[in-house]
Amino acid sequence: MFKKISALFMLGVLSLGWVLTSSANVMCPLDNLKPKQVRSLDALKSVAVLNQGRIKPFETFAKTFLLQLSGRDHYKKQSALEWMAKFLFAPRSTYNDKVFLVNHPEILEALKVKPVKNRKYSYNQLNAGYEKLEELARVISQIDDKKQSVVDKEILRVFSNVVLYSRLSGAFTFALAHPDFTLNSPETVKALGLPEGQTEFSYYDILNKSHVLAKLAHERSKLKDVAFSPLQKDTANLLSAMSFWEQHYAQCPFGLIPSLSVEDEQWMSPMDTILIGFQVPEYQEEIKHLRDAAVAYWNGEQLAFNAALRLYNESTVKRISAKERKAVSKIPMELFYNRFNGLFWAGMFYSLGLLVFLLSLFSEKPWMYRVMTVLTVIGFAAHLAALALRVIIMSRPPVSNLFETFVFVGAFCVFMGLILERINRSWIGLIVANVCGFIMLIIAGKFSNDGDTMQMLIAVLNSNFWLSTHVIAITIGYAGCCVAGIMGHIYVLQALSQPKNQKRLDNTYQNMLGVLGFGLMMSFLGTALGGVWADQSWGRFWGWDPKENGALMIVLWSAIVFHAKIAKVINPLGVAVGCILTLMVVMWAWFGVNLLSIGLHSYGFASGIAGSLILYVIAEIIFISVTVILLGRKGIKM
Amino acid sequence: MSFRRKLLTVRPVVWLASIKITLVCLLLLFFLTLGGTIAQVSDGLYVAQQLYFESFFFLLFGFLPFPGAQLVMWVLFVNLVCVALVRFTFQWRQAGIMIIHSGLLLFLVSGYVTMHSTTESQVTLAEGQASNVSLAYHDWEIALWEDIPQKEASTRERNIVSLDPLTMTNGRSYPVNEFQMGLTLKKYYKNCQITKRSGAVMEFEQLELSPEAEKNSPCAVLSYEAQGQKTADIYLHGDLDVARTIDLGEKKINVLLRLKRYPLPFIIKLKDFKKEEHPGTTTPRSFESLVEVIENGAGREKLIQMNEPLRFNEFTLYQASFTEGSRGRETSTFAVVKNSGRVLPYISTFVTFFGLMVHFGMAAVRTKRRKHV
Repeated sequence: MFKKISALFMLGVLSLGWVLTSSANVMCPLDNLKPKQVRSLDALKSVAVLNQGRIKPFETFAKTFLLQLSGRDHYKKQSALEWMAKFLFAPRSTYNDKVFLVNHPEILEALKVKPVKNRKYSYNQLNAGYEKLEELARVISQIDDKKQSVVDKEILRVFSNVVLYSRLSGAFTFALAHPDFTLNSPETVKALGLPEGQTEFSYYDILNKSHVLAKLAHERSKLKDVAFSPLQKDTANLLSAMSFWEQHYAQCPFGLIPSLSVEDEQWMSPMDTILIGFQVPEYQEEIKHLRDAAVAYWNGEQLAFNAALRLYNESTVKRISAKERKAVSKIPMELFYNRFNGLFWAGMFYSLGLLVFLLSLFSEKPWMYRVMTVLTVIGFAAHLAALALRVIIMSRPPVSNLFETFVFVGAFCVFMGLILERINRSWIGLIVANVCGFIMLIIAGKFSNDGDTMQMLIAVLNSNFWLSTHVIAITIGYAGCCVAGIMGHIYVLQALSQPKNQKRLDNTYQNMLGVLGFGLMMSFLGTALGGVWADQSWGRFWGWDPKENGALMIVLWSAIVFHAKIAKVINPLGVAVGCILTLMVVMWAWFGVNLLSIGLHSYGFASGIAGSLILYVIAEIIFISVTVILLGRKGIKM
Repeated sequence: MSFRRKLLTVRPVVWLASIKITLVCLLLLFFLTLGGTIAQVSDGLYVAQQLYFESFFFLLFGFLPFPGAQLVMWVLFVNLVCVALVRFTFQWRQAGIMIIHSGLLLFLVSGYVTMHSTTESQVTLAEGQASNVSLAYHDWEIALWEDIPQKEASTRERNIVSLDPLTMTNGRSYPVNEFQMGLTLKKYYKNCQITKRSGAVMEFEQLELSPEAEKNSPCAVLSYEAQGQKTADIYLHGDLDVARTIDLGEKKINVLLRLKRYPLPFIIKLKDFKKEEHPGTTTPRSFESLVEVIENGAGREKLIQMNEPLRFNEFTLYQASFTEGSRGRETSTFAVVKNSGRVLPYISTFVTFFGLMVHFGMAAVRTKRRKHV
């Protein structure tokens, strides 16, 4: 028994020793382009990265990067995290991955690349036409923003993505063996104190021996006009390689390692850290851990990989500022938010609810109402949870960018729908909730495709009481008017299907009026609070800015509908049509004005969105015209 | 009230209180807002605002006469007043409606007051620099002042005469009594460029107005007369900031075409400007300027930041923008707004929203009661 234990113990010590020493010596084989990879990247997920001004988990950074390049958060069967690990630790193995989304075939033709249907191209393909791409980008960047065409903007976008890809791919090259540091002369290897029997080394290996290299260089410089020995030739080569690498791989836009000077708030790539202070003990230790992680990834050593990253995290977290630590402490929550994927599930449940409703139109069964209610409530719970998580992670109200407004308005619409259902118990509330929730989340998805939806705010949007109240009030106003708009559709459809059911029509009509009134009230409040905020921040209550005008148009239009009803110029059907039109006005104010690329709220042109907006308007006009004509025949007039 | 009953017999008042007028006006405003938004893309905010929102009438698409928002709002104002006179029943049932429409009346009033009493200007200071005037954004003036020799400059006060070229008719002589001379504006283009220049004599070519109002640079050709003698023409251009000197014998007068200056009731001095970016980006996180406000020789410090302006009587100074010059010297630009009617929109907002709550609250309660019956 004792023998067994001591044998196991010896084995443990030996393997530990082997692991420790081997990670110091084992290099990455050059001729093997494919890394062995580790099975689990959990250790990498939670590493903190500073990107676009925000400290985020590596997993989010990976998703953002891949989304930015390809519009998707995964590549084939790999998750963004898996692809990113491959990209950073074994960049060349991803050069043929078709991750670049290029939207216009003319751009590919200009680069002499054959356009493909799915519009995705690889780095190698685009890099082949790099010179042309750079030339085009340079010319276009001289043109004034507003005069650039959609294709121009796409070229700039693709170019900056290619440059980013190229620069980021060099982030971990310091850790990997490279021909520049291949030493074929054993004499050199011995002189530098590197492990004998090896010929392939990395920048890091040579860096560690830089004091020896400096001594050798000094000795070499004393020799003049003498045939240089292999050692001396290698010395010269190594020196020039090191110097080249220091220039070429510096300024890598990868905010991985926090700066030691706490007020600096800058986070640097490994190479930049090396250049700033490899002799600083903290930096040196962290670079070593990062390098160990890269090597472990190549060799498929899960334990070593996890250990290296854990040690790296411990070292960095120990020395960052309180503010940064607070952000880092939110990382587990953000990872949970990513995994929970609440908005996806909310959308799923809403669509299932709609499915049940459609089924009920064919044959109504008593369980359908209950099931639909449950589905709606579960969807809403997931939706609210996602919103709440966002608020906690970002420490600000959940309406800071266009994506978030859709998520928030969607949630409020579902909330209103549920209340309506509670009051009426007539399916209307549930229909409204599921339709609005589902559609809003789909639209939100369209606005999340250029990367991180949790962005930092520009200075003018610094949290401020009036700003927060304004944005919340106006989005609630949007929600109210959207719900009224959906109810307008419901009224029209109900009038078509059962024109004699006056009780049902009256009920829908009364609810619709109430909701429109609520929408008018909140839109008015939101618009006025926007004026108050503008007055507080820029000195003028109203400036006829497109966004202000859009909000004013919602208020004016809802007021018009009410006044037309009071003046008896329109009947309930007319009010319903007015509500449907209110929905269009809301869409215009919400993001139609942003597409104009002018004014204080311009977020830039996105051709896909403009096209969808126009299609929607055409569809609504057709719907209204057809239904009004049909209803006119049944005697129901506007 | 017998006065009200008398009013009800006055046909025009009753007619003016018609809801149909309200409806038409609201519709017009709706389409004006839409048009005025789209027009900004091609014409810029300033022109679109003048045309669609500040005029009484304008030519839509260049040929269709269309009422401007100012006219529509005047009609709405009259309509609302008549409604208040004739339709308000002053019963509890109508409380919400009455409050809402009083609030809206206040909004129209505050719009009018703001339009006529607000002056917007700006002041740019480098660190260490001070000023007691602010500059207009795109209003120009012809400024005249006496040329004082350098050594007397600090002891004598400068009297500056300012003429607004937009109010001057070409060819008419305007007396400048302070300097015993007369000035005639011969030509004025709101946006132009210098095509030929030989010394002080220039040739100008008129340019189309830029949609960005601040980009327009005007030019003026003036002639002056003093002691009965008419003399040579003076050529001025907005981009040239060296004044032309007129020799009137006993004194010399400087003439300059420049952005209008507005006096500030204090001296403002920029002590330090700080900008923070989101780390690793060029996106600004916050800007702030530490300034000293000097009044009657006594100064006090204040930090002006985004969303935290400096308020002094009816003046408000906002952190607008900044530039980073060479050698690290930064300049900070403040938006200066002089507005005596600032508080009106706040009152209107509060009143109208309160009225909306009362009205829809009461309507909701009424509907609920009706359901239970």
